[in-house]
Amino acid sequence: MTAPDVVAPEEGALSSALTIADAQTALRDGTLTATELLREAYATADAVDETLGIYLSRFDETAQAAAAAIDAAFAAGEDPGPLAGIPLGIKDIISTTEGETTAQSLVLDRAWGAGVGDAVVVSRLRAAGAVITGKLTTMEYATGVPDPAKPFPIPRNPWNTDYWTGGSSSGTGNGVAAGAILGGLGTDTGGSIRIPSAFCGITGLKATFGRVPKSGCVPLGYSLDNIGPMARSARDCAIMLNALAGYDASDACAVEVPTEDYLAGLDGDLSGLTIGLDRLLGKAPTRDPAVDAALDAVVDVLTGLGATVVDVELPLWQELNAATRITSRSEAFAYHAPDLRSRWGDYFSATRTGVGAAIAFTGADYVQAQRVRRVGQKAVASLFETVDLIITPTSSVAGWKIDELDSMADRFGAMHTGYWNALGNPALALPMGFSGQPRAGGLPLSLQIIGRPFTESLVLRAGDAYQRVTDWHVLTPAAADRPAAAVAS
Amino acid sequence: MHSIEEEFGNQLDLALESNGLTPLPEDRAALLKAFSTGREQAALVFSVAEARYEEPDLIFSASLS
Amino acid sequence: MTTELATPGEESAATSTILTIADAGEALRSGTTTSVELTTAMLEKATALNPALGAYVEITSDLALEQAAAADAAFAAGSDAGPLQGIPLAIKDIIKVAGVPTTANSRILDPAWGGDADAPVVARLRAAGSVFIGKSTTSEFALGMPDADKGFPVPHNPWDVTRTPAGSSSGTGVATAAGLAFGGLGTDTGGSVRGPATVNGHSGLKVTFGRVPKAGVVPLGYSLDSIGPMARSAYDCALLLQVMAGYDAADPNAADVPVPSYTAGLDGSVDGIKIGLPIPYFFDHDQLDPEVRDGVLSAVQALVGLGATSTEMELAHADKAQHANALILVGEAYAYHRNNMVERWTTYGKYTRPGLVRGMFYTAADYVQANRFRVLWCEQVAKALETYDVLITPSAPTTAQVAADMNPSQRLLQPSYTGQWNLSGLPAICIPTGFSSEGLPLSMQIIGKPFAEATVLKIADAYQRITDHHLQVPPVDALITTAA
Repeated sequence: MTAPDVVAPEEGALSSALTIADAQTALRDGTLTATELLREAYATADAVDETLGIYLSRFDETAQAAAAAIDAAFAAGEDPGPLAGIPLGIKDIISTTEGETTAQSLVLDRAWGAGVGDAVVVSRLRAAGAVITGKLTTMEYATGVPDPAKPFPIPRNPWNTDYWTGGSSSGTGNGVAAGAILGGLGTDTGGSIRIPSAFCGITGLKATFGRVPKSGCVPLGYSLDNIGPMARSARDCAIMLNALAGYDASDACAVEVPTEDYLAGLDGDLSGLTIGLDRLLGKAPTRDPAVDAALDAVVDVLTGLGATVVDVELPLWQELNAATRITSRSEAFAYHAPDLRSRWGDYFSATRTGVGAAIAFTGADYVQAQRVRRVGQKAVASLFETVDLIITPTSSVAGWKIDELDSMADRFGAMHTGYWNALGNPALALPMGFSGQPRAGGLPLSLQIIGRPFTESLVLRAGDAYQRVTDWHVLTPAAADRPAAAVAS
Repeated sequence: MHSIEEEFGNQLDLALESNGLTPLPEDRAALLKAFSTGREQAALVFSVAEARYEEPDLIFSASLS
Repeated sequence: MTTELATPGEESAATSTILTIADAGEALRSGTTTSVELTTAMLEKATALNPALGAYVEITSDLALEQAAAADAAFAAGSDAGPLQGIPLAIKDIIKVAGVPTTANSRILDPAWGGDADAPVVARLRAAGSVFIGKSTTSEFALGMPDADKGFPVPHNPWDVTRTPAGSSSGTGVATAAGLAFGGLGTDTGGSVRGPATVNGHSGLKVTFGRVPKAGVVPLGYSLDSIGPMARSAYDCALLLQVMAGYDAADPNAADVPVPSYTAGLDGSVDGIKIGLPIPYFFDHDQLDPEVRDGVLSAVQALVGLGATSTEMELAHADKAQHANALILVGEAYAYHRNNMVERWTTYGKYTRPGLVRGMFYTAADYVQANRFRVLWCEQVAKALETYDVLITPSAPTTAQVAADMNPSQRLLQPSYTGQWNLSGLPAICIPTGFSSEGLPLSMQIIGKPFAEATVLKIADAYQRITDHHLQVPPVDALITTAA
């Protein structure tokens, strides 16, 4: 059953709706080469990047060499890995051997990234055969909103370029949405994978805290940070998670819990599952009515897939959101304090006032926030005795205009992501509809699916099952000035 | 008698000074808002009755021994 | 075994010549005495001396005699639960004992700490057949200095009652030194087991963080708190620890690490033990009493004479480690107390409240940063302990201080040698090395690797086999007649 108002993908624009799963097949059945795929991806970026602000730096030469090597391997009858030839971008707070890692800031010492080389997650993607296309825009140091006074691109939502992509994994969000990359890495400390996924209409996964090693990534909040995949679909996120997940001693927060094949459970069947829905009414200062219409449709779809949907109320909503805020601000300020003292003005306006505001919190406030996190974990675990999964809207609004972004202080209440960072549960954001008309300025709406710790398989199964019978995730924005379809057959 | 706004302003100034920060004039409104919101958030976490006897999860304690 | 007592400069009229848990165990099993006899004598002495020494918040006579009778009956029936059976102990009054109030020495009198169930560590002592003489005095909520206005007993140093017995496990320290218990439980977050052991002239062990479960204990600093045995001798501490140690799911920070035998290695040998002496801050501070320093160095020489080696070395940032410990402690403590302090400020003692509210003066980022520093400190110390088996330092820069001269602000400025080991979660024992020219106990601290209590106890025990400082008894009988 498809949801209402589904718009079929533009004819001849196959590659702009291409998923990693599609590309895996095409690369192996001769429809596509890695070199062609990369060329198409870069061509898309060439056409839209000046408007959209996807990339901070591109690695055309090394990427082309990598693609050529993949093609040679395929031609020789080898299979160079599940991500072989897939063009992926990396948020520019994660270190890569190519180029510089900037954190989109004038402040970060460029020598840091040079000293790290590839972060563990990047090594793992490469080992799976991925082609790393470049470093993607981010909010400065993964926090805040754009600052037009600083010499960095402003990331725009491809569905309506007056609007912000959301953050902080902005370039990953609009890069995937626009088809400049098939997937990429984001990070999530209070919602920074899920919000750009929501606003840009793509799928992003914050896995269980400690599931994916975060070494080689500039920290924002040590006890909250997650690196995770962003792509067109839950299935694509599962493909990427298979490469990313797993313990590494370089990350003190990494957990030694065995990984699994995150694709194995994607059978489209949700029979017997109980899903708890909290609409989070009244939690945001404003709410787009389209969110509730979309949620109604989601309930119908999930019920049709065999699940039972019940109403639940998430415990300690305000308190856990406060705990995330206190924790992330304070941990960030510990990291940034010396630079904020000596280079205050070099920071973006929202970064310095946001992180600097941590001076409002005492050590005891921080400790208390950790106590509340523990109370919250117990309370939510208790809730998970009655349901297998929880769903909520990812956000009560579809986004904000770039001109309206100041410090965003009041607006955080509309984003329903930080609660899960306090607790550590895995949470997937995926598109569930639109506010307004797609390709006529309308903006995507997003569903959040949450599971118990280390149940990424079940979370992804629910997302994939939903996406087998709906098309929101394969819709693409009208890409401006794109070259005509150039996929060779 | 100071208003709440003045009081927060004083507290903010003291906190900035003791932390060695010198913000720009254009930052003040955002800092004030964030500071007062921060105190509200601190009050929220202290209002959680069930935390009275709860032990926190302090990630650094995991790195001992 | 009886011991000739020789307190410096005075003859003591000993009321009992059984001084240690080990001795008492022997005497109980040889029929020389019974638990009821030992317990009755200690209850009488504790009661008679409480006005002068303030060791106990509550002397639990009925409970103690019941437990003593049960121990005697068990012995008679041929049942022997081990070395603690029938042994009178003191329990610091922030640790829950079933059926007995837990006050934390505070008028806050939180009903949740009432005695419905034993703390796991207390349950272990009870199951081992020990006897609880009473709940011993503590600094209020394990922090600060006594406030006589609050009506709780004020503890005094039995070697000189004008001097502090140190804290916060003051009561257990006083009781152990004065013979009002054979030993007991203290807790240690920045030095609160080791401080009283130091100035009262006996042995006190802060265990590895997580070694002994701390559920059922009023928290001070969650990431620092450690329950520890206090007794005259290291050997006795080993006997206590053997019962206390081990995982318990009730404590989220309990370590699931096997418990070795703490007595098997106590054979007097220290051959091949490598001792590191961190000189900067610990041995060269201008506020370090030369008699204290010399006491430690003589003790080290004695260990070298037994076959150990000692080397001078350096640990950078030891002063900052002390500050980081204090910062973390008050941040965690203030989180626990804040709501009560908002509503009941004056119910807290006048020295406790400025101590707790210090948590307000550090930002959350300061707390996080202290924990980042903590990682570096732990790495540095771990590296040193790859070269050395133990580090030895003075326990404190001075001997027992005159209580009337002390104030909390002054304490903030003094160097301290204990908190660094809470910060790094390591086991550390303080044992006596002799007496000062004023007749006050001197002490040294032995720090080991994580979960290496057996090594630390081995070295302390070896020293105590060739010295008798830990067996000296203060002249408390004089206090009975003056207090009567």
